[in-house]
Amino acid sequence: MSFTAKKGEITCLIGINGVGKTTILNAIMALTPINKGQILIDGEPLKEKTFEKITFIPDAITMLPQMTVAEAMEFMNDFYTTWNQERATELLGFFRLNQTDRISSLSKGNTAKVNLLLGLALDVDYVLMDEPFSGIDMFSREEIANVFTSHLIENRGVIITTHEVGDIEHLIDKVVLLDDGIVTKEFDAEDARENEGKSVIDVMREVYVR
Amino acid sequence: MNIKLNNREPVYLQIVRDFKERIAIGELEPGEEIPSRRELANRMKVNPNTAQRAYKEMEEQGLIYTERNLPSKITTDQAILSRVRDELLLEAVDTFVTSVRSINVPVEELLELVREKYTGNEDKEA
Repeated sequence: MSFTAKKGEITCLIGINGVGKTTILNAIMALTPINKGQILIDGEPLKEKTFEKITFIPDAITMLPQMTVAEAMEFMNDFYTTWNQERATELLGFFRLNQTDRISSLSKGNTAKVNLLLGLALDVDYVLMDEPFSGIDMFSREEIANVFTSHLIENRGVIITTHEVGDIEHLIDKVVLLDDGIVTKEFDAEDARENEGKSVIDVMREVYVR
Repeated sequence: MNIKLNNREPVYLQIVRDFKERIAIGELEPGEEIPSRRELANRMKVNPNTAQRAYKEMEEQGLIYTERNLPSKITTDQAILSRVRDELLLEAVDTFVTSVRSINVPVEELLELVREKYTGNEDKEA
């Protein structure tokens, strides 16, 4: 298993459930031990300092349900030196979220947005997002997709995982197809269209349906 | 600015074509400022790197130009502008000819039909 995600690019890990997408993200964050192989960030092996450069946005919010959005933001501010309040406020507006709402009272879509806000408000070079589009309504999906075309992501290296690439085909730079713990294909989405006239889904179909 | 993107064609070329079409119909005027790469990416819901690539392509083709840190603008070069129109027209006619050729219709009959349809539509739009 080997792939590279560059700064300023959106790399999308695609695979059906259970192929190891989340495990990869966990491994990058040293949340899961790795038996062999190496993970390099900016050419360097992981160390404590590395985690000031990366943020991991898991597929479910990790804040306590009784917290309000404002409290969750405060919590992040206390824990991370890289917290950028200005950007957090901007994200609140971007997602039209209410600071005084309790997390437990939020809809699924809004919970996902708060979750993203908490991660994206950190001033870090790399962002890992686990299934940011999964299980939410199409309008929330669209709003979240808009983040990818905005300056909120600009110049950062992004890795996102998904099992449905359909609505984000035009937003991603690179695709890494996974199957059962191995990389079956790594390609540039625009190159596939340009050189082979294939959509990301076309390539996936070739790789998975044999 | 709402074009329907095709998944099998390079997105940057689709953006370039969209600009050409808007130049050809006069929606974009010579010397007009165009949105920043960021704005374009946002409006078209495409990857910012793709928008960047589209602008680079348009700069290479002389469709747009950028002075220092100012916003990019549509070219005022008349030769390029009329070439855009010709190119689009030729492309559309080529597509039409290719699809109609398989029907094997005499050219006179075809032209008559084209004339009828084309001017007929104009009447309706007017």
